Amino acid sequence: MVEVLRLLQLDNWLQDMDGVAAAGAGALGVDGLAVSLVTEADSTELLWCSDATTRRFEDLQLTLGEGPGPDAVRTGALVWVPDLAQVRHARWPALAMEAPDLDARAVFCFPMGIGAIRVGVLTAVRRTPGPLTGEQADDALILASALTARCLGSGEPRPDAPEPAGSQHSLQHAVVHQATGMLSVQLSLPLSQALLRLRAHAYSSGRSITDISQEVVDRRLRLDPGGHGNGMPPTVADKD
Amino acid sequence: MNREQRVTEIFVEVADSLIDDFDLIDFLQQLSVRCMELINVAAVGILLADQNDILQTMAASDEHTRLLELFATQHDQGPCVECYKSGAPRTNINLTDPQVTSRWPQFAPRAAETGFVAANALPLRLRGRVIGTLALFQTDPDPLSDQDITLAQALADIATIALLQQRTAANSEVERAQLQHALTSRIVLEQVKGILAERWHVSVDEAFTAFRSYARAHQLQLARLARDIADNAFDTTLIPPPGRPVPKV
Repeated sequence: MVEVLRLLQLDNWLQDMDGVAAAGAGALGVDGLAVSLVTEADSTELLWCSDATTRRFEDLQLTLGEGPGPDAVRTGALVWVPDLAQVRHARWPALAMEAPDLDARAVFCFPMGIGAIRVGVLTAVRRTPGPLTGEQADDALILASALTARCLGSGEPRPDAPEPAGSQHSLQHAVVHQATGMLSVQLSLPLSQALLRLRAHAYSSGRSITDISQEVVDRRLRLDPGGHGNGMPPTVADKD
Repeated sequence: MNREQRVTEIFVEVADSLIDDFDLIDFLQQLSVRCMELINVAAVGILLADQNDILQTMAASDEHTRLLELFATQHDQGPCVECYKSGAPRTNINLTDPQVTSRWPQFAPRAAETGFVAANALPLRLRGRVIGTLALFQTDPDPLSDQDITLAQALADIATIALLQQRTAANSEVERAQLQHALTSRIVLEQVKGILAERWHVSVDEAFTAFRSYARAHQLQLARLARDIADNAFDTTLIPPPGRPVPKV
């Protein structure tokens, strides 16, 4: 898993997703991994996928609109299916019809996000039934959080880049989440983009995201709605 | 009422809560308050380790942001980190002792600013693993008795049980899923404090108080209501906003 996380830290991580996926699947003792990202319309799209079995499962969930992946995204909770054949029919009726024809037997979905910010879902698929070990589940949660930070922090190629928006250090501070909520209302932005604005401001002012957040919460700082490009991804659908 | 009666009363109250579909965050917050009263300390916090072994605050006897931030300062130092890493209780730590303060250069000054002179941290234990800590801060230097510590540890164990009792949408059988869900819920709550504070033009602490009163009055779970608000699935004009506006700086 250390190797997987190292690969994720590289600037060209998106080009080497196959390497990340292979190393990640190995570390988690599964046959395949997939990452789907939440789109604006609250559906998901596949960012990458390591193998045919996993791709088929992801495609099917997307087509049917149900399954462990959509549940993980919706609830923000991990969804754990050690044996697809044992799932109650009523839980995912359409998926249950297809399950016997699938190579996937065990599926584990780890939500990627920060609080109410939904980024996507990391899906681990195995062709044999059985649970993940506690250690594997911990590793998968770590991978999902690293991917979350990466996905929220991408488009920041500078060598002295600050920590990604979702990095573990800033997550610990209640003020960062509070400031995110306040900014989302001030600027009529989704929470995810409010967090990126905070981070961009911290970066451009050379200060920590915690300090900036504290000023926002204390109402000593307001960010202007126009924004100013600062390694900040273009904002979309933010006009009210 | 003497302490023994009070302890009995609290344990009955706790047991009653745990058999229902209870509100985890509110439960842990009230447990922190009870612990503060019973042990007679100034502040209590319940911290839970995330997947990266970083302690995150799940609840505190006082939800004021200043206290939450003090807990957050303990990302790599402080009594809770030492307790979590060693798995052993760290009790009656004198926060004014220079040997202690020099070991925790970020944590100690902030604790002193808040008026805390002594700290205690007890592990949240789960089958040989430590999943977080219960922190007790004092504004007086009197050491806690062995009895106090035994009682605090029992309350810490109750916090662990509560964390594992909560029902998540999908799978109650996986401990990790429950702990992860608890941490996520807490972050949603902080985001919603910010959303409401800005909508109402009040401080985040005032926003939280109004939010919690509404949730309690309508028997809604804090975490669920918070998520609905964040998802724009709940009309927040239904919640009576706090009356007092915050002076603009």
